[in-house]
Amino acid sequence: MHTQTKPIAIVNVMDNRLFALGLVVLGLALLSVLALRFGLRSMGFTDIWASFVAFDPLNASHIVVQEIRLPRLVAAVLAGASLGMAGALMQGMTRNPLADPGLLGVNAGASLGVVICIMLLGVTNPASFIWVALGGGFLASLIVFFLGGAGRGSPARLILAGAAVSALFLAISRGLLLISQQTLDVYRFWVLGGFDGAQFSTIIALAPFFGIGALLAGLATFSLNALILGQDTAKGLGIRVGLAQLLVGLAIVVLCAATVAMAGPIAFVGLIVPHLARWIAGPDMRWMVGFSACLGACLLVAADLLGRLAIFGGNMQAGVMAALIGGPVLIWLVRRHGVHKL
Amino acid sequence: MMTQGSLRIGRFSVLLHRRGIVVAGVLLALVFAIAILAVQLGRYPMALPQILATLSGGGDAIAEMIVLDNRLPRILTAIGAGAAFGFAGAMFQTMLRNPLASPDVIGFSAGASCGALMGMMAFGSTFVLPGALIGGLLTAFAVLALSWHRGIQPYRLILIGIGASLTLSALADLMMSRLDMLTAAEMAKWLVGTLNARNWTDVIMIWIGLLILVPIALWLQFALSRLAMEDDIATGLGVALSPARLAVTVTGVALVALAVSVVGPLPFVAFISGPIARRLVKGARPALLAAATVGALITLLADTAARAMPVVQLPAGVFTAVIGAPVLMWLLVVQFNKGKI
Repeated sequence: MHTQTKPIAIVNVMDNRLFALGLVVLGLALLSVLALRFGLRSMGFTDIWASFVAFDPLNASHIVVQEIRLPRLVAAVLAGASLGMAGALMQGMTRNPLADPGLLGVNAGASLGVVICIMLLGVTNPASFIWVALGGGFLASLIVFFLGGAGRGSPARLILAGAAVSALFLAISRGLLLISQQTLDVYRFWVLGGFDGAQFSTIIALAPFFGIGALLAGLATFSLNALILGQDTAKGLGIRVGLAQLLVGLAIVVLCAATVAMAGPIAFVGLIVPHLARWIAGPDMRWMVGFSACLGACLLVAADLLGRLAIFGGNMQAGVMAALIGGPVLIWLVRRHGVHKL
Repeated sequence: MMTQGSLRIGRFSVLLHRRGIVVAGVLLALVFAIAILAVQLGRYPMALPQILATLSGGGDAIAEMIVLDNRLPRILTAIGAGAAFGFAGAMFQTMLRNPLASPDVIGFSAGASCGALMGMMAFGSTFVLPGALIGGLLTAFAVLALSWHRGIQPYRLILIGIGASLTLSALADLMMSRLDMLTAAEMAKWLVGTLNARNWTDVIMIWIGLLILVPIALWLQFALSRLAMEDDIATGLGVALSPARLAVTVTGVALVALAVSVVGPLPFVAFISGPIARRLVKGARPALLAAATVGALITLLADTAARAMPVVQLPAGVFTAVIGAPVLMWLLVVQFNKGKI
């Protein structure tokens, strides 16, 4: 009798999590349909369906759905899922519930790349920021990685290294923005973060990065479960800590850099989503990362949709909306449910 | 070698950490030396004898204006504000037991930026600094009130602070994007923090504030060194957690408000002074005095760099991170090689 209760309990937990994950995915599907339907101009469901099965290049509704709303939706899903996963990995690796992917220096590096690009090359079209943002993000996180002990340092050291590099890059960006007004004029819109004018060409160019990032994240979750117990315990369990940290770090950087390149620096998703995921799924990293991906996608699709609705003037960027919704939600959750430490 | 001694005056005794005192002393000497250098530097370089003559009342009118009305107030304000930021940052980091915790974490900086922008949009540029102060204080107390739950619990405070911070900085970004270009450029300068055109009123304000708040902060250090341990141990040692935390938070917020009201939200000083001081002192104890001197040193260096920069005029806030971040990076590398971390 006693031996039988345990497996049943585990199966129940699995079922509950699967059920919850199913609900979240269903919610995402629902939000996606709404995101295709609503905007400055509402579409009928028949129009949306027809634009997929029988695309008519002369029908304005079909063009709006297929060439404006669908790329926006895909971009929001990719960005949200990436930021959610990166946040979960970052909090797991540093064992710090305050850790945000931005802390590895990715956002600051990407921003500096964009500022330099606008200033020196006079580029003002966000679509061409991709490669500089990627380059800046990779460079910054590489410096952070080596300053943080190249995988052998403590989580606290990694956080300090990330904060130091971020602050340095941010200060340089600020200085450059103060020197050049034209740069500030482009930058202050890019920094809001959002999916205005998302295009399939951009998404396709970045798709490999999202794919590789997600794959690395999936691989990393297995060793992260051990890393969460502390480095010594992880070592005792036969995990190669340095290698595991490198894998996790690489996944975070690839996911974040691709997101910043596509949508600008979007704060908050990577910070709040893992907390939501932990409330639902518990501490197991394999579930956490999956939940974080789905919840992150939900959050950004909803933020983008709300920002497009007429009550906000029709053009509130998703990055701003995410923060405006997410902040009060985080405060409410913390007050209501207390704090789950890692 | 004995690393600790105690100072006994009548009934009171203070436990002294020898390395902490030595580090603070050396840093203080450095601040003094750089201050002397900074008086000489600037658009009109002046030699030391000329400055000494001016100080004793024997200089010409131009020298008097440059030294007494311009450079000295600016230098003294920088030292005072930097010390206040350093103190406050180290207090928050120790109390919340998190290297990421600084006054920014409870929303002060984001609230200050928002307040400054709102002041600018509603009343014009004279209301930027008062707006920043009001915004910062309101946010800090709103966060405190929202996170109050049978006392202050560190993670609750930090998470709610981050929620408020991110929302407010998104609002600030949004306001920046809705301003016209010239105002946006002007505000970008304000939001970084500058020491341009400080006068003796600022000096008096910050130093009187420090005179009142620093003794309180040092007295709280006793409670802090216990708060830095786990809650259970601290309670076991008889430290009442919540009153001590509330006192630390209020003192820290007051110190930051004081500094922001004089120099604006200077970035990074509050965050970085604590970790640098801690790595210099090498103790597990909070090193408030050392952190304050590190803060003063960084701010003074940043402002001197801002003044000495030849081609473009940039506010001091750009330089605080450019000077502070490499120091922290260097310490991270050096201590790693020695196996200290």
